[in-house]
Amino acid sequence: MIHGPLHGSLLWLIAFLPVFGALINGATGRRARNTKLVDALALGSVGIAFALSLFYFIVLMRQPSEGRVIIQELWTWVDFGGAHVLDGLTHNTVSWAYRFDPLSGAMALLVTGVGFLIHLFSTGYMAEEREDGRYYRFMAYLNLFVFSMLNLVLGANLLMMFLGWEGVGLCSYLLIGFYFEKDFAATAGKKAFITNRIGDFGFLVGFFLLFQIYGSADFSTLMGMTREVLARPEITLFGLSHAPTWWFNLAGCCLFVGACGKSAQIPLYVWLPDAMAGPTPVSALIHAATMVTSGLYMIARLNFVYVNAPVALSVVLFVGALTALVAASMGLAQYDIKKVLAYSTVSQLGFMFMGMGAGAFTAGMFHVFTHAFFKAALFLGSGSVILACHHEQDMRNLGGLKDKLPWTFRSMLVATLAIAGIFPFSGFFSKDEILWKVFDGWYRHGELGGSQLALLAWIMGMVAAFMTAFYMTRLMIMTFWGEYRGHGHDPHGLRALALPDEHGHHESHHHEPHEVPWNMWVPVAILGGLALVAGFLNIPHSLHWIGSSRFSEWLSPLLFQVGAPEAHEAVPAMEYVLMVWATLVWAPGAMLLAWWIYGMDPSWSKARAFVARFPNLFRWVHNKYFVDEFYEASVIQPTLRVGEGLWVVDGKVVDGAVNGAAWLSLFWGRVSFWFDSKIVDGLVNLIAWLIEQLSWAFRRLQSGRVHQYAFVMFLGFLVFALWKFLV
Amino acid sequence: MMHELFATPMGALFTIFGVMSLIGALAMVFSKNAVHSVIGFLFTMLSIAACYLCMEAEFLAMAQVLVYAGGIVVLFLFVVMLVELSKRKDGRANDRGAMAVVLPLVALLAAAFGAVFGGICFARGADQALNLPPDLAQGMDVAGHNAQAISRGLFAGYLLPFEILSVILLVALVGAVVLAKTERV
Amino acid sequence: MPSPNFALVLSFLLFSIGILGVLIRRNALIILMCVELMLNAANLNLIAFARHSGTVGGQAFALLVMGLAAAEVAIGLALVVALYRRKETVRVDEIDLLKG
Repeated sequence: MIHGPLHGSLLWLIAFLPVFGALINGATGRRARNTKLVDALALGSVGIAFALSLFYFIVLMRQPSEGRVIIQELWTWVDFGGAHVLDGLTHNTVSWAYRFDPLSGAMALLVTGVGFLIHLFSTGYMAEEREDGRYYRFMAYLNLFVFSMLNLVLGANLLMMFLGWEGVGLCSYLLIGFYFEKDFAATAGKKAFITNRIGDFGFLVGFFLLFQIYGSADFSTLMGMTREVLARPEITLFGLSHAPTWWFNLAGCCLFVGACGKSAQIPLYVWLPDAMAGPTPVSALIHAATMVTSGLYMIARLNFVYVNAPVALSVVLFVGALTALVAASMGLAQYDIKKVLAYSTVSQLGFMFMGMGAGAFTAGMFHVFTHAFFKAALFLGSGSVILACHHEQDMRNLGGLKDKLPWTFRSMLVATLAIAGIFPFSGFFSKDEILWKVFDGWYRHGELGGSQLALLAWIMGMVAAFMTAFYMTRLMIMTFWGEYRGHGHDPHGLRALALPDEHGHHESHHHEPHEVPWNMWVPVAILGGLALVAGFLNIPHSLHWIGSSRFSEWLSPLLFQVGAPEAHEAVPAMEYVLMVWATLVWAPGAMLLAWWIYGMDPSWSKARAFVARFPNLFRWVHNKYFVDEFYEASVIQPTLRVGEGLWVVDGKVVDGAVNGAAWLSLFWGRVSFWFDSKIVDGLVNLIAWLIEQLSWAFRRLQSGRVHQYAFVMFLGFLVFALWKFLV
Repeated sequence: MMHELFATPMGALFTIFGVMSLIGALAMVFSKNAVHSVIGFLFTMLSIAACYLCMEAEFLAMAQVLVYAGGIVVLFLFVVMLVELSKRKDGRANDRGAMAVVLPLVALLAAAFGAVFGGICFARGADQALNLPPDLAQGMDVAGHNAQAISRGLFAGYLLPFEILSVILLVALVGAVVLAKTERV
Repeated sequence: MPSPNFALVLSFLLFSIGILGVLIRRNALIILMCVELMLNAANLNLIAFARHSGTVGGQAFALLVMGLAAAEVAIGLALVVALYRRKETVRVDEIDLLKG
């Protein structure tokens, strides 16, 4: 643990500046007459955070590669006072600390940088909200999200990561349901949160396992202790005794369940398409660039667990590949521009998990970065399109926009080429590296004999890559080529009925779409530019004459090394073959196919004929294989039934018990009353009666007759006299 | 005992007069007619005066005759005449129920007295002289000069009781007048 | 000095007859007369002892008692008369106004 030589004490500001912005905006923003103030605060906080991250990044770059860690401990957060772990009691405490090392530093740059661009975009996109008085809320939530995400990536221990994990889930809910008066937005927010929650359960179980095994949550400790843990022959926890690898597999799978929830893999991806109900900047920031990459960051951070957990890695690989394929197929039949991009995100996340599952952590992380750039560019660009066409999201009602929105068009075109994997755009370098590593899991540099699963995954990945290029081209053609169909000028009858859209209805008959203001197309252009050039940060070894794999080298000290690092100088020919095939044949082929179907014939007759021939197939794919309906019927309805059953139990049993207790009290009251009136009062009356009877006896003494008195006197005298004289 | 009763002439007379007083008392108590009771009462008073004479207390005998037989009996007669003549005789004179209870009691009293004092009064040596403190009339012959002795004792020794008695008589006088007053006056 | 025995016995008998009369008779006047009888019995007792002791104190006392008896009779008879005027009766068992 090395503290930075200079200004290590400002590390906390990177995370806390956005939250200060959120608090101030949230508390005072409603009253601010001038929403420019809100802008300045929100943009300023994220901007300064980006500057600080850049500063620390530069500081880090100057250090030697083993010493690239800056840690700042702020305070002791949790002190268990002695928790039972594997070796007995541990007195480790969990502190609120930030850790700036190559991985977290790069992620911090990504989060703050892309976050800043998206904040800038939002100042234009959310312009209508300025009058509605909800603007400040949006900015506050965005800042809060950046704070949570920075906690996640900069956290120095698992608990800090989990804090950020939960925080981004919360902010996702808040932002998806931003237009909370719309039912489906609120429902989508709830769906996102609940699905995330299910994943978080897995994350927690994995966290607890790791804490039990290591006795600490701190990453430095975890990384340092791993070799020693692996050296044990057996680990006994909860009465079960297994090899360390078994426990790592278990922890890895549990943590991957959390990643499935957060990063939208099968089976917990269902929230991401619905999350498009939120404003487009939200979709760009959270569901393309940052939040959904949390799962990948977690796997990269805990690579020392996954490298020693082959079963977990296989699970990750398979689920990632399956997700990539299935989501890409869903994207083929969607008409909402944002839904296509959503499924594209799910599919690309599947790619990233494929990379992780194949053991190529740096490749997966690199794809995170490049995907952030081009996906954010695509989302923001689509946001520009939507705004320019007055909140029209159905692609069938768009078209011919490439001359009307030139800058947006160009940026999105670059991003599409990147995502398709055309050389030399960034997507080529990252995605093809992943696919090569997966293939090599089976190919083994020509030796063959690797796992069959890797081959299957590679095949699924290739098919998904083909589909990706196809639907992205389809999107671009539908949106930007042809004639604009928004005026009602629809010669081929391609328009769709206007669905009740989520943002009010502006009359779209009179306005011609035009380019959006500078604070909206500039961020898209910047991101498009980054999507163009970012690939050169990580040239694979096979193309080493172009450049070096700087990104991989940057991250490699953090990776757990199993055995001696491979020093293959000989690059197998297969790698070049596949690379050329992918970028010159496979992806362009898909794009040409899309062009042939949609671009050449403005009436899309071939597409329509296909749909007419296979109506059921289209129905299944267009309705996303009815997965949501399946979940609804199998999971949600039974849960609701159980809830209703418990409601009945509460009404009958609990309320019955309460009413019974009330009845019992009343009954007891009546018994007491009876007791009091009959027995207690009876006792009192008895005494009175006794005295009355006695008094009757004494009354007779008072007869009023003198001679009786005299007689009594005489008796008294007699007694007295006799007693005196005889006793 | 009979022998002793009639031992001396004075004693004999005392016994005779004593019996007479007893007869009178019984007549008074058990007579149905109120006037007969008053007559019995008078007889008793006179007999007791005679007893006093037999006991050599002449002054007191005279006083007894004057006060009781002369004043009190007359008073009683007046009131009896006033009350009884306007009333018819109904019911019993005596209360039979009370008699059944009281007679045994009185008999018991008599028996008790007899038991207690019989041995004392009628034993040998009971005739010893009482040693009482000497009073102012000491030296005088009480039996011989009875009036002088009583006057010496009463006005010298017991003056205060005498004066108080006079006050009591005054009070009784006033009280009787007040109590017997009629409303119409 | 002659023994006072006979006088004491006589006085006791007279006294007990007086008590008997008080308790038995219903006529108020007869009761008053019996009370006088009791006083006389007491007088007899006093004089007997005065004679037996040779002092004059007993006789003086008996004189005082006699005077007192006279006063008492006056009051008692006045009471009976007043009562007769109110209640038209001198029978004591008919006067129970203080019956409780």
